[in-house]
Amino acid sequence: MDNSELQPIFDFMRRLAPFDSLHEQTIKKCCQELTISYYSKQQKLVNVDSDEPQLYIVRSGAFEVTTQQGELIDRVAEGEYFGFSGMLSGEKVVNQVHILEDALVYHLSAKMFDQLRANSHSFDRFFNQAFAKRLRNQGSLQHSHISTARITHIMSRDLTTITADATIHEAAQLMSKKRLSSLVVVNQDKLCGILTDRDLRNRVLAKGLGGDLLVEQIMTKEPTVIEPNALIFEAMLKMSENNIHHLPVVDQERPIAIITSTDLIRSQSSQPLLLIGQIERQNSLEALIQVSQKIPDLLHNLISSDAKAIEIGRILTSVTDSLTRRLIVLKQKQLGPAPMAFCWLAFGSQGRQDQMAGSDQDSALILEKTPSEQDKCYFKQLSEFVCSALNECGFPFCPGNIMAQNPQWQLTLQQWQQQFSKWVNTPQPSALLNATIFFDMRGIYGDLSLFTTLQTTVLNKTKGNDIFLAALSQNALQSTAPLGFFRSFVIERDGSEVKGIDLKHKGNALINDIVRTYALAAGIEEVNTSKRLESLIEKSKIDKEVAMNLLDAWEFIAHKRLTNQGQQFNNTQPVSNYILPDSLSSLVRHQLKDAFKVIHEAQGTIRLKFLRQF
Amino acid sequence: MDVQTLTYIVVGVTFAMYIGIAIKTRAGSTKEFYVAGGGVPPILNGMATAADWMSAASFISLAGIVSFVGYDGSVYIMGWTGGYVLLALLMVPYLRKFGKFTVPDFIGDRYYSQSARTVAVVCAIFISFTYIAGQMRGVGVVFSRFLEVEVDTGVYIGMCVVFFYAVLGGMKGITYTQVAQYCVMIFAFMVPAVFLSIMMTGHIFPQLGFGAELLDATGNSSGVYLMDKLDGLSTDLGFSLYTQGSKDMIDVLFITGALMFGTAGLPHVIVRFFTVPRVKDARSSAGWTLLFIAIMYTTIPALASFSRVNMIQSINGPESQGVPHAEAPMWIENWEKTGLIKWEDKNNDGRMFYSNTETNEMNVDRDIIVLATPEMANLPAWVIALMAAGGLAAALSTSAGLLLVISTSVSHDLLKKNLMPNISDKKELMYARMASGAGIIMAGYFGINPPGFVAAVVAIAFGLAASSLFPAITMGIFSTKMNKEGAIAGMLAGLSFTTAYIVYFKFVNPAANMSENWLFGVSPEGIGMLGMVINFAVAIIVCKMTAPTPQAVVDMVESIRFPKGAGEAHDH
Amino acid sequence: MFQRWWLQYQLKRLVKNSKLNALQDHYQYLLSQLDSPISDIKLLALDIEMTGLDSKKDQMVSIGVIPIINAKIQPKLAQYKLIKIQGTVGQSAVIHGVLDRHLTNALPLQEVLQWLFEQCKDKVIVAHYASLDLQFLQQSLVGAEKQSFALFAIDTLLIDKKRELRKHQSLNTSSLRLNACRERYNLPIYNAHNALTDALACAELLLAQLSKMGGIDKVTLQQLLNKH
Repeated sequence: MDNSELQPIFDFMRRLAPFDSLHEQTIKKCCQELTISYYSKQQKLVNVDSDEPQLYIVRSGAFEVTTQQGELIDRVAEGEYFGFSGMLSGEKVVNQVHILEDALVYHLSAKMFDQLRANSHSFDRFFNQAFAKRLRNQGSLQHSHISTARITHIMSRDLTTITADATIHEAAQLMSKKRLSSLVVVNQDKLCGILTDRDLRNRVLAKGLGGDLLVEQIMTKEPTVIEPNALIFEAMLKMSENNIHHLPVVDQERPIAIITSTDLIRSQSSQPLLLIGQIERQNSLEALIQVSQKIPDLLHNLISSDAKAIEIGRILTSVTDSLTRRLIVLKQKQLGPAPMAFCWLAFGSQGRQDQMAGSDQDSALILEKTPSEQDKCYFKQLSEFVCSALNECGFPFCPGNIMAQNPQWQLTLQQWQQQFSKWVNTPQPSALLNATIFFDMRGIYGDLSLFTTLQTTVLNKTKGNDIFLAALSQNALQSTAPLGFFRSFVIERDGSEVKGIDLKHKGNALINDIVRTYALAAGIEEVNTSKRLESLIEKSKIDKEVAMNLLDAWEFIAHKRLTNQGQQFNNTQPVSNYILPDSLSSLVRHQLKDAFKVIHEAQGTIRLKFLRQF
Repeated sequence: MDVQTLTYIVVGVTFAMYIGIAIKTRAGSTKEFYVAGGGVPPILNGMATAADWMSAASFISLAGIVSFVGYDGSVYIMGWTGGYVLLALLMVPYLRKFGKFTVPDFIGDRYYSQSARTVAVVCAIFISFTYIAGQMRGVGVVFSRFLEVEVDTGVYIGMCVVFFYAVLGGMKGITYTQVAQYCVMIFAFMVPAVFLSIMMTGHIFPQLGFGAELLDATGNSSGVYLMDKLDGLSTDLGFSLYTQGSKDMIDVLFITGALMFGTAGLPHVIVRFFTVPRVKDARSSAGWTLLFIAIMYTTIPALASFSRVNMIQSINGPESQGVPHAEAPMWIENWEKTGLIKWEDKNNDGRMFYSNTETNEMNVDRDIIVLATPEMANLPAWVIALMAAGGLAAALSTSAGLLLVISTSVSHDLLKKNLMPNISDKKELMYARMASGAGIIMAGYFGINPPGFVAAVVAIAFGLAASSLFPAITMGIFSTKMNKEGAIAGMLAGLSFTTAYIVYFKFVNPAANMSENWLFGVSPEGIGMLGMVINFAVAIIVCKMTAPTPQAVVDMVESIRFPKGAGEAHDH
Repeated sequence: MFQRWWLQYQLKRLVKNSKLNALQDHYQYLLSQLDSPISDIKLLALDIEMTGLDSKKDQMVSIGVIPIINAKIQPKLAQYKLIKIQGTVGQSAVIHGVLDRHLTNALPLQEVLQWLFEQCKDKVIVAHYASLDLQFLQQSLVGAEKQSFALFAIDTLLIDKKRELRKHQSLNTSSLRLNACRERYNLPIYNAHNALTDALACAELLLAQLSKMGGIDKVTLQQLLNKH
C-alpha cells in the first residue's frame, strides 16, 4: 500500500460512532470507498437518488430531513447521517433533505453499508436505533385504543411463505420481488423455519455457497414464535432476549403473519396504554403491585428504543396517574363514597409530568369544606392506603412528608388558598423550596374544579408579583450550570472520589426552575416544562430563541441522563444522575457544553428580568 | 512597615474576606437555610442595610461638610436620617404588599398609566445618577491618597474598580458580605473618633466628648468647651460662628424636608427591603438599621469638630502665627501630593496660614477630613489603613447598587418597556451593560469636575424626587381616590416648578441667588419641599375634576392599605 | 468569446507541437471539453511539496493527486508519490514533514513525471495557487525534454481572489491561503501539511466554489481554465 491513505478522512471517521467500533483496517477500507460532495445552501434540496441508495455522512454543515408534506423528521449535523432509512427498510425513499448550511458530505455505497452491518452487530444496531428514532419523530401510526395493543392488531395479514424444498435462488427472487427482509418457511401449512436476509448473507454469500442450496439447509429451524393474542410487550421481550428482529406469528401451529422489530417500534406508543389498561382492570392491591413491576421494564424499553426523554416522562407519569386513580377507586369501593367533594393533587415531578425511575411521591388533598372528625377519619384511611400502596408499587414515600396522608396537607380549598398566599407574600427560603414542589401541581382524581379554582387564585397572586418573582429567581439562581470560567466542565467530587456532573440537579432541575419562574410570572396554567415553554412562546412572554434553546437543552440533558442510567443499569452499576465527561465522545461533550451554556444564559436573563441584576 | 504597604494589606484582607464570605454563602443552598431555621436574623440584615445606606458620601463627605460649615451641615444629617425613617417605616411595607420591585413599577401600576411610569423612571435614574457621581469623587479621594496619585487619576482607577465590581458581580447583594462591610466601616470610622475623643476630651464616647471640656497639655480639664473653642477659632479666623447656622429657620426646614422626602424615593435602598422575606422582618431590621446608622451619624459632628480643631491648630500653630511649611506635619505633605491640599505662600513668610480672610494661604478640600483625621492625630498606621478599607467598602457597595439600578432602569424600563419593545433578552442584557459603562463614565466625569456643579445637581435631584415621586407614592398608598390624571398633573406641576426655580437661581441668574430674592426665603436646595406641596395641591384639585379611579384599582389600594392583610393574617 | 478562442488556439498549437504523447492527449482532452460543464469533466486535484519556493533551485519532494469524477471526490483513486532528490530536504521538512529517510525508496523524478502525465491524459489539473506547482512541473520538463510547455489548470486561489475582489476593495494575501478560503465555505480545517491532504483540501474547496458559482453543472471548463 502506498502512502495514499487520506489522513483527515481517516481521523474523522475513526472518531465517528458507530465507525469507531470497527476495526482499523475496516475503517481504512471505508475511507477508500467513500466519495465526497459539497452541498451549497443555494441548492436548497439534496437530490437523493433512490435507485442508488447510499449513506450520507455529514462532514460539516447541517441538513433537515422532512416528509414530503414538510413535516420535520430529523435534523442532521456534523458527524450525523441520513439516507440510511431507505437502505434499512428497503422502501423507496420519499423523504426530502433540505440543506440548512453549506455542507461537505461523504457518501458510502449501499453495498459497503450492508457489508458493515452484516459484519458488525453494533454498527447494525446503531442504525436500527437511529431508524427507530426517525419513525417515532414522524409521529405516525399512533394507536389510541387499548385493544390494539395485541399482536393481532399490528400484524399484516398477507404472509409470504416458501416451502422448505425450494432453492435459495427462488427464495431470494421472491424476497427481492416483494421487497421483504424475511420469509416464513412452511411444510404442509405448518411452520418449520424462517429465512431472513441475514441468513442469506451470513450462511450463503459469506461462505461463497451457490444458489442451488435448498431453503431448509439455510433457514433457522424452530424459530422463536408468538401467538396472535400475545401482548406487544411480550413480543418485544422475546426479540430483545433472543436478539432477533423477526418473529413469526403462529395460530395453532399455522403461521399467519410475521412481525418485525420495525413493526414493534411503530406500535411502541401503545405499549404504556396497555399497561394502563392492565392497571385499570386489576381489583386487588396485590395484583396492582404485580403489574407495577413492569414499569421498570417499560422504562428500560423506552430508553433502549431511544424515545425522547420528554415522551418517556409523560408516559411514565400517565402510568403513575392511573395507578393512583385505581388505588383510590379500590379503597373507595371498600370505604364507600367520600363524605364531601375532594381532589387528589400531585406535585413535583408527577405534577410536571417528568417522572423517571424511582421518583418519590408528592401529593396532597383539597377538601371542599372543613372536615368533621368522622370525615377526617375517612380521608386518613383513604390517603394512608393509597400512599403506602404507591410505596409498595415502587414510588417511595416523600422524605419531606409532602404526601396526602400527612394531615398537614389535607386542607380545604380556602386553607390552600391562604397557604399559597402566605408563600407568595412572604417568600422565605422554606417557602421557595416549597415553590419548586407545590407550584408544579396537577389534579389527579376527584372534583377537578377544586383544583382549577385553587390554581387560578394562585396564578393571580404570582402573576406580576415582582417581589415574589425576584425571590423565586434568586432561588433558581442558587446553583448554576456546571461550566467553569473557560467553558470547562465543573466536576463534583465527594472527597477524593470523582462523582462527575449531576445532570439532574445541575441540568434539568435548573431549567425547570427557570421556566417555572417565567410561567408563574405570566400566570400560565401548564406545569409541564415543555408545555410551559410552548405556552410562553405563544403569549410572547419569553424570547422565542431562548425558549427553543431551553427545550432542546432540556431534552438533550434528560436524554443523556436516561441513556446513562440505562448503561449503568446494564452494567449493574448503581444508577445515579452523575455522568463522567471523560466517558463521552467529543461531539457529545461539545453538545453538553452547549446545553449548559443555554442554561447559563437563561439564568442571566432571569437575573436581569426579575432581579434587576446582571 | 509604611502606611502604604499596610493599606494594601488591610484592603486586600478585607476584600478577600468579602469574597470569601460571598463564595461560602453562595455554595450553601436554600435547603441549608431552611434546615438551619431559615432566613437572616433581623439584626444582621439591619447591618447589611446600613452598609448599603452608608455611602462614600456619608462616610467621607458628610463629616467634611459638617467640619467646614458647622451647624448648617446638620441639615444633611437630619434630612437623610429622616428620609430613612420615612422610607423604612411608612412606605416600604406598603410597596412590598403591592408586590412591586421598583418605584416606577409601583407608580405605573397604581396609576394604570405608562406616562406616569416613564416620569418616575426618569426621576429614579436621575437621582441614582447624581448619587453615584458623589460616590465617584469619594472613591477618587481614597485611591489618590493611598496610591499617592493625583485625585483625577484616583477617580479613573475608582471608575475601573467600581465598574468591574458592579458588572462582574459576585459579591453584591449578599447579606453576610454586607454585614462584614458594615463592621469594617463602622470600626474604621469609630476608632479614630474614639482616639481623638480620648486625646482631646478624655471621654471614650465621641458623642460625649462632643459636648465636653477640652483637656490641656497636662491632661487636666482646661475648662474650655470644645464648641466654645471652635466658635472662638472660627470667629478669630473670619468664619461664621461654628455653632450657629447662617441659614434662616424656614430654609433649614425646607432643605431638610426636601432631602428627607427626596431620600424616601431612593431606589437602591428600597430594593434592599424587598429581599427580606417577611414584612415583619423588614420592620425589625429597619429598626436595627436605624440604630446602626445612628451610631455613625451621631459620631459625625464629634469627629468633624475634633478634626476641625486639629486641622486649624496644626496649620496655624498654637499661637495662630502659622507653622513654617518646611515643618508642616506629614499629613499635609501627603495630601499635597494628591492636589487636595494646596499651599500658596502669599506673604512669602514660608509659613502656612488658614483663615476665611485674604490672609488665607491654604486650600483644603473638605472630602479629605475623615481620611486625614487619623494622620492629624498621629494615630498608628494600621488605623489609617483601616480607614482606607472602610472608605472603599462604603463607596463600592453603594455605587455598585446604584449602577445596577441605573443600568437596569435604562435597559428594562426605558428601552424594553418604552422605546424598543422588540429587543431580545440578549440585547437587553447588552444594553444594561452598556448603560452601566456609560453611567460610570459620566459619574467619573462629575467626579473629576466637581464641587459647585455636583452640589447643585444633588440639590436638583433630591428636590425633583421630593416634588415628583414622593407625593405620587404617598397618595398612591394612602388615597383610594387619587386617579392618574391627578397624579400626572401633580408630578408635572411639582417637577416643573422645582426645575424652573433651581434652573433660574443656579444656572440662569446665579448672581441673584441670595436669600433676599428667594421665594419665602427658601433656597434652591430646599425648594423641592415647596414643589411637593404644589404637587399635592394640584393633584387633589385635578383629581376632583376628572373621572374617578377604576373600581379595580380602588380595591387593590384598599387591600394594600392594611399592611397586615390577608397574607399576614395567617402568618402565625 | 475572445478568451475562448484564444484558449482554443493555444491548445491546438500545443497538441501539434507537443512531443510527449501523454501531454498531447492531455491537451486534446482539454480542447474537447472546453464547453462541457465541469460536472461532466474528470478533474485531478494536485498538490506538490517542495524543498523551497524557487523552481530553478528547489526540487519537488512529493506529489499527491485525487480525482474528481461525476462531481464527486474519489478517495479510492487518490495517489501519493515521493520523489528522489539530490541532496537533502533540509529545513523544508518542517513544513511538509517528509524526511530524507522517507525518500530512500522514492521514485526518480522522470518516473514520477511520466506517471503524473499518464494520470493527466484525460483529466484537468486543479490546484491551489496552481502557478507554483505548474512552474515546478514545467521546470522539470525543461530538464527532461529540453523544451518548455505551457500548462493549464483550474486555480482555486484565483477563483477566490476574483470572488473576494468583487466584495472588498483590497485583499490581504493571507485571506487567500488554502485554509482561509476553506473557512469561508464552512469546510473543516485540516492541519496536516501533506501533498495528498492538501490535494483533498483543494478538491473540496473547488466543489464548494463551484456550488457557489451556480452549481457544478452550470459552469463550463473554459470559464475556469487558466494558462500558467
